[in-house]
Amino acid sequence: MQRVILHIDMNAFFASVEQAVNPKLRGKPIAVVGGGHRTVITTSSYEARAKGVKTGMAIWEGKRMCPELIIVVGDNRKYTHTSSEIMAMMQDYTPEVEVFSIDEAFLDVTASLSLFGSAETIAYQIKARIRHRFGITCSIGIAPNKLLAKLASDMQKPDGLTIIRPEDVERVMERLPVRELCGIGRNVERRLLLMGIRTCGELGRCDEARLTRAFGIVGPRLKLMGQGGDTAAVIPFGQEDEVKSVGHSMTLARDIERREEILRFLLQLSEMVGRRARRYRVAGRTVALYVRYADFFTSFGRQQTLPRPVNLSADIYRAATDILDGVVLEQPVRLMGVTLSNLCHHAEQLPLFEEERKRECVTRAMDDLNSCYGEFTVAYGSLLADRHKNGSFVISPAWRPAGIRHVDVS
Amino acid sequence: MERIRRPIRVAVVFEPGNRIVPKWFELDRCKHEVCETTYQWRDWAGKALRLHFAVSDGQALYELVYHTGDQSWSLVAMEAT
Repeated sequence: MQRVILHIDMNAFFASVEQAVNPKLRGKPIAVVGGGHRTVITTSSYEARAKGVKTGMAIWEGKRMCPELIIVVGDNRKYTHTSSEIMAMMQDYTPEVEVFSIDEAFLDVTASLSLFGSAETIAYQIKARIRHRFGITCSIGIAPNKLLAKLASDMQKPDGLTIIRPEDVERVMERLPVRELCGIGRNVERRLLLMGIRTCGELGRCDEARLTRAFGIVGPRLKLMGQGGDTAAVIPFGQEDEVKSVGHSMTLARDIERREEILRFLLQLSEMVGRRARRYRVAGRTVALYVRYADFFTSFGRQQTLPRPVNLSADIYRAATDILDGVVLEQPVRLMGVTLSNLCHHAEQLPLFEEERKRECVTRAMDDLNSCYGEFTVAYGSLLADRHKNGSFVISPAWRPAGIRHVDVS
Repeated sequence: MERIRRPIRVAVVFEPGNRIVPKWFELDRCKHEVCETTYQWRDWAGKALRLHFAVSDGQALYELVYHTGDQSWSLVAMEAT
């Protein structure tokens, strides 16, 4: 049976929510930025995009492109709530809803067509309900698979509805640049160009053995993508693969080089990673540290594998500190990240020694209090000193519809 | 929006379906009628639910928060004309 997949993409999501909140911003060029002192544009309204403002630009660049640009500091609580409500709304049409990101979802409505009539009817209903409830718009793509549904939703923005029927696939793919496909980035595009492949039509006709020689096991999949094929299923929330790593990274409000400052920041990241790992009930043997320097271009990443899996923040912090101690920092630090991987699931540590038992009891007590009263209600003393300078205290992913929700993001 | 945080008195109507509709609030001894609730969202402070309301009195935009934990209201943001 031919599948019918919808891809729903909220248009300039954060900016649209801000415009819905504040009527004075409607129809005006706005850019949403993070709360730090040094920050880039997270997203912008279509009015700003029309004047050349792009995601990732520094604020001054945005202002240069569009002097009347209004800067709005984002509030992820609003976006998280709106996203959760929208995702829940989609469940009225099918239980097969895959949350792809905070503002994107795939719906497999194949089995719902007899209830609602057609995919178009479902799409129009969803668009109308989102607009009525939140005052924002979305673009929807309807196609026989996820790859094409995503492609379709990108074709008409904002507030579009595009259908790629099975009989249209060949025509649509023939002249489409390979870069337009979700999953083909700059690197793959460059390598394909070197092979003389520019369009999806050319990719789909390319000899599979040639693609396999160039890309390994990905080769056959690339050929299938070129033909507009995709066998990936819509995976509803809760049925995804088990988590493989838990990590956090943060851009600092200012470059830092003093060791105590770096360590404080490292402790904060370790606590965030540890907290999430304990919530997921996982522990990891490998701790990785990633540092990006002030010039933004140079960075390093190191990892350390421990004799046993850990998820206590203090253990993660100690491993991250060991890594840091083995490196000579070349410049002030702009960004740091800590990741825990090599995970074992349903991890319950059984401390052998009194000291370890005490540490675990303290951690558990802290977790209980933070679950009850909000993240970082109880924290290490050194984190409290310069709390406002230490970047975000958000423990992501806060937007997952049924995931870790009780997070205090203030 | 200027971020602030101060306790505030809010008059609301509890409507069917657990809906809370702010009607007016008192700020600096002035009564502000709510002309429009432009947006609503919720978040959690630990286990306590917080309800956020972006409201307009026709002059300015305000963000009011109802803390279900201690059943208090606060004004957390304000944007004047």
